[in-house]
Amino acid sequence: MSLVRIPVGPQHPALHEPENFTIEVEGETVVDVKVRIGYVHRGIEKGLESRTYVQGIFLSGRICGICSNCHTTTYAMTVEEAGGIEVPEKANYIRTIISELERIHSHLLWLGSAGLEIGFETMFMYVWRDREVVMDLLEAISGNRVNYAINIVGGVRRDITPELAKEIRKGLDYLEERTNYYKKLCFEETTIRKRTEGVGVLDTVTARKLGAVGPTARGSNVKFDVRKDDPHLKYDEAEFELITWDTCDTFARIVVRILEVLESIKIVRWCLDHMPKKGDIRPQKIIRRVPEGEAYGRFECQRGELVYFVKSDGSDKPYRVKVRTPTMANILSVPELLKGGYIADVPIALASIDPCFACEDRITFVDVEKERKWTWTKEQLRKYAMEFNRREGRW
Amino acid sequence: MLDKVVKWSRVKSPWVLHMNTGGCNGCDIEILAVLMPRFDVERFGIILTGSPRHADVLLCTGAVTKQMKKRLIRIYEQMPEPKFVMAIGNCACTGGVFKGCYGVEGGIDTTIPVDIYVPGCPPKPEAIIDGVAKLLAKLQES
Amino acid sequence: MSRRRKVSTKNEEKMLVELKKELGPQLIEGYVQRPRRIHIKVNPGAHRKAIEFMRDKWDVWHVSTITGIDLGEKIEVIFHMWKFKEPQTAILVRTEVPKSEPKLETVTDIVPASNFYEREVHDLLGVVFEGHPNLERIVLPDDWPEGVYPLRKDWQPPE
Repeated sequence: MSLVRIPVGPQHPALHEPENFTIEVEGETVVDVKVRIGYVHRGIEKGLESRTYVQGIFLSGRICGICSNCHTTTYAMTVEEAGGIEVPEKANYIRTIISELERIHSHLLWLGSAGLEIGFETMFMYVWRDREVVMDLLEAISGNRVNYAINIVGGVRRDITPELAKEIRKGLDYLEERTNYYKKLCFEETTIRKRTEGVGVLDTVTARKLGAVGPTARGSNVKFDVRKDDPHLKYDEAEFELITWDTCDTFARIVVRILEVLESIKIVRWCLDHMPKKGDIRPQKIIRRVPEGEAYGRFECQRGELVYFVKSDGSDKPYRVKVRTPTMANILSVPELLKGGYIADVPIALASIDPCFACEDRITFVDVEKERKWTWTKEQLRKYAMEFNRREGRW
Repeated sequence: MLDKVVKWSRVKSPWVLHMNTGGCNGCDIEILAVLMPRFDVERFGIILTGSPRHADVLLCTGAVTKQMKKRLIRIYEQMPEPKFVMAIGNCACTGGVFKGCYGVEGGIDTTIPVDIYVPGCPPKPEAIIDGVAKLLAKLQES
Repeated sequence: MSRRRKVSTKNEEKMLVELKKELGPQLIEGYVQRPRRIHIKVNPGAHRKAIEFMRDKWDVWHVSTITGIDLGEKIEVIFHMWKFKEPQTAILVRTEVPKSEPKLETVTDIVPASNFYEREVHDLLGVVFEGHPNLERIVLPDDWPEGVYPLRKDWQPPE
């Protein structure tokens, strides 16, 4: 099978533009990390102020294509709370089902990419093939594989028929079997354990102090899950566990995500069992104007806590929308994660917080002792990491 | 004679560089899906490369943000002639849903010339493969 | 609505009383919006006292984000805190600074996680957080002009 390379970024060493990550090293060890974000800053918060609530759903869903549904759900929920708008019961079930299906899709996507970072390309291929099952289900429900736009202010746009529910259950059975296989793989395969145990360590106290969220925090034994802390939709009734792991390293984050896929499958099954067969899913008329008010909405996105703050002023456009994505919360922990580790551990440790692709295409290294500076693309770093690990016998 | 060989190899096996200029990653994951066994665009001979100096085709996704504009121009200039640019997704074509936002310049064609536009948000893998086939046809003509 | 969902706000009311006692006249306004949402409005400067009190008394160490809102003459800064220990609740600490002189003391020494959020409010609205370890550009492009704050209401993107 031919090697799959994911190329991102140029490799000209003479380029002097600001880098996303500047990593200071001494020999092979990382001593400090400086982060520069803002490459994907589009001006969305301002854009949302000049778009109606109806248009805003479509813009907010494209803040991130992988967590698109989280954004539209949180935006809709927060606007509904600000305006005191009730949502029909069945719509909450559908929202929960789609959110959990998106979580499954995203964690599997991440698992495949993590496999690629470790050098396990077969796993990458297998996982992404299995992920197609979820993509098909989401397409059948919403009409699109990515960016479902299933939410509107006041409800959802499409219903889940009993036939569709049967298809979902079939898909979940397959996914459960495959995820159990990946769980076994992770615990038993020495390659994965050698490359990830003790790598990218973020102890519990630092994780709390620096505001880490999502699987990054839960892998460091912090019991932080908005679905349990601040129940919304159907999460206070559905039966599922809060997954944490106490080894605080990259291996912990892999385990947390795999176990969460199994919990998500449980939640979707619960929702399908308890969802009312008939019922409204959307308001009678499209809601254009939202009464004056404010609301603070929190949601557990795949990467962690997503928060929205909406201030409405009675018109058809919001006065202010504030979005804080979970990756922004986790980036502050990246220097602590990487310090003390090897250069070769950077790809997998960085990937373990599940950042957006666009944030990390080029990394600059500065050797403080030898006063040397060089820039690598993700591809070059990955190649270096594999050779290093082979030499050190972690392969 | 040499011309014909070079053209044949370019059409049979175009080297492609993928770049995200400020998008939401929706199109990027569909591009990756296109490489997966289900759609498998590699049977067309497409090879992904990491360096613009070896690339025939630049695959761009996302609306061009002001911060990424210079980098995009630099990469385009580093590619050897003849070069082709494919804009994948609504944002790459026209700026899409972000048109008017202050951090965004617009579509890819505000910065560099584009040969193939693949609309969609994101375009389905089948649409991307269709775009690739049209590109190969264009390579053949050139 | 589910029967198991908490509808009483007894715990939040008790917490609000404690905050009122601690901050005295510095607390301008306080109300419980719904279960797990407490809002308090304080004088600029008193926000530090409020956050310190919450950290020491209730073990509140998580700041979810910091929002800045342009209200015309004033800029409102809201610190979104989350309390993990039961009863779990969000406490929104709000304060206002004049737009002509938008200065506020940092809270990065009390809750280090607020580092990036203060920088973002500074970038987009121009609020200067005194005492912040590195109040540099964070989200805007490098060639963005100084002194231009896109989230202010009097600035519109050029056509």
